[in-house]
Amino acid sequence: MKANRLLITGSLGIAVFVGATAAWAHHAIQGKFDVSKNTELTGVVTYVDWRNPHAHIFMNVTGKGGVLNYAVELESPVELEMDGWKGNTLRPGDKISVKGYPSRDRSRQVWGVDVRDTASGSQLFTAKLAKTGPLHTTERPTPRWPDGHPALGSLPGAADGYWTNPTKTYLQEDGANMKMDEYGALANIEDAAKVAPMQPWALGVYKDRQQRQLRDDPMFINCKPPGGPRQYQSRLGIQFIEDRQRKRYFVLLGSGNHNYRIIYTDGRKPVGLVGGDDDNPLYYGRSVGHWEGDTLVVEVTGFNEDFWFTNGGIPHTSDLHLTERFSRPNFDTLHYEVKVEDPGAFTRPWSASWDLQWNGGATLPSYFCQNNRQ
Amino acid sequence: MKIPRSLKTVPAFCALALALTLPVVAQEGFPLKGSWIGVWEGNTQQGNDVLLVMNWDGKNISGTINPGTDNIKIDKASLDPNGWKVHIEADAKNKQGAALRYVIDGTIQNLEQPNRGIVGTWQNQSGKGKFEVHRQ
Repeated sequence: MKANRLLITGSLGIAVFVGATAAWAHHAIQGKFDVSKNTELTGVVTYVDWRNPHAHIFMNVTGKGGVLNYAVELESPVELEMDGWKGNTLRPGDKISVKGYPSRDRSRQVWGVDVRDTASGSQLFTAKLAKTGPLHTTERPTPRWPDGHPALGSLPGAADGYWTNPTKTYLQEDGANMKMDEYGALANIEDAAKVAPMQPWALGVYKDRQQRQLRDDPMFINCKPPGGPRQYQSRLGIQFIEDRQRKRYFVLLGSGNHNYRIIYTDGRKPVGLVGGDDDNPLYYGRSVGHWEGDTLVVEVTGFNEDFWFTNGGIPHTSDLHLTERFSRPNFDTLHYEVKVEDPGAFTRPWSASWDLQWNGGATLPSYFCQNNRQ
Repeated sequence: MKIPRSLKTVPAFCALALALTLPVVAQEGFPLKGSWIGVWEGNTQQGNDVLLVMNWDGKNISGTINPGTDNIKIDKASLDPNGWKVHIEADAKNKQGAALRYVIDGTIQNLEQPNRGIVGTWQNQSGKGKFEVHRQ
């Protein structure tokens, strides 16, 4: 049985971690672990804690000081299960070796970058990389409603599905092409000013966040929602539910705290119930949309300043105004474009775009920032 | 009706307790925006405690010192991201009604924290001292 298990894990290990920052996570790990350092452990599994927000392997490591128990933290079970791993892939008594990052507080915790079965060398608990190549597409045409508008979700009677595998998991101006990892951490801090046209204070804040390796990300620290374009850069995906009778779109998030936002297409103004956006600025702002040909154009205002709207920590103010353009050029591709206007943080408007892939026949992952298995 | 001295301190104590127990609201935008509470030590004109409210319109910093009591409007304020230096100027009056020009210079401490601080000095024609406020 164990051999079979290892065979399975070995074959699944084709999708391997490649180095330090290869896997996309729902939030950056830098807040807890020091990614500038490496550590290695070899020992025996004592317990596998398969719960959100992150799975943990507990292991006994024998050293000069005797036997010490370590906690090896991994991606969320939702993400690991998306790649075929299960809570019983490893069992108490299995011998493993781990390469990873030590915790910042020097406690016996490690972020597991590379977990292997000691005997076979098979790699375990690998998660797919962020989508780097072209999206998988089929010849299927764009699904459409009777009025001709593209369906951004599933049509009635069709199989469920959601959008995942974003081609970019960080935000920067189209054409900038500054090298970043999947968390939005710049390879070279000197490139910071080229990422987006930030005002001096915003550039200073951005550099500070980058130099602190994104450890202050409120989505990581406080489970704050991924408002703005960040919601379309999670592998956990988004799902459109179209309520055509009431002329609104529900955008459900697989990440964050399973939040949703509403895009109204009934002609209303983007103001709150109390009297205006100033009364109650929101994490996802207030969205109103209309169709321009095959593109749903959405204006979003009314954001609060309590979150990061990008994975890399580009700051914004409550003057943030997004113009989002959603199109579905074929059945399997959602094209997302966003124009960012924020005179409080940027010197001019700027834009970014990327694609997401349709995951048909699948249900949006039930990921919560907090533990949802208790 | 004469209020016992011990009871007079209750509202002040409650206000202080409330200020200390309220959670700091995260503010990930312009670093100076929001309410700040702290001290300008040795200020015999306005008292030791100071409250600062600042805003950012994309070009200028505006705000008020001690809103509701002294209502000192901030005339000039700047933030230099190189070192996160803060400079504030404001006109007030002393207890005799004479003009006072406050100049506050400080540095943002713990920029990344919700309860970040501004630490530095204040001065006017009649005095100077340590200035320290933290974002609420």
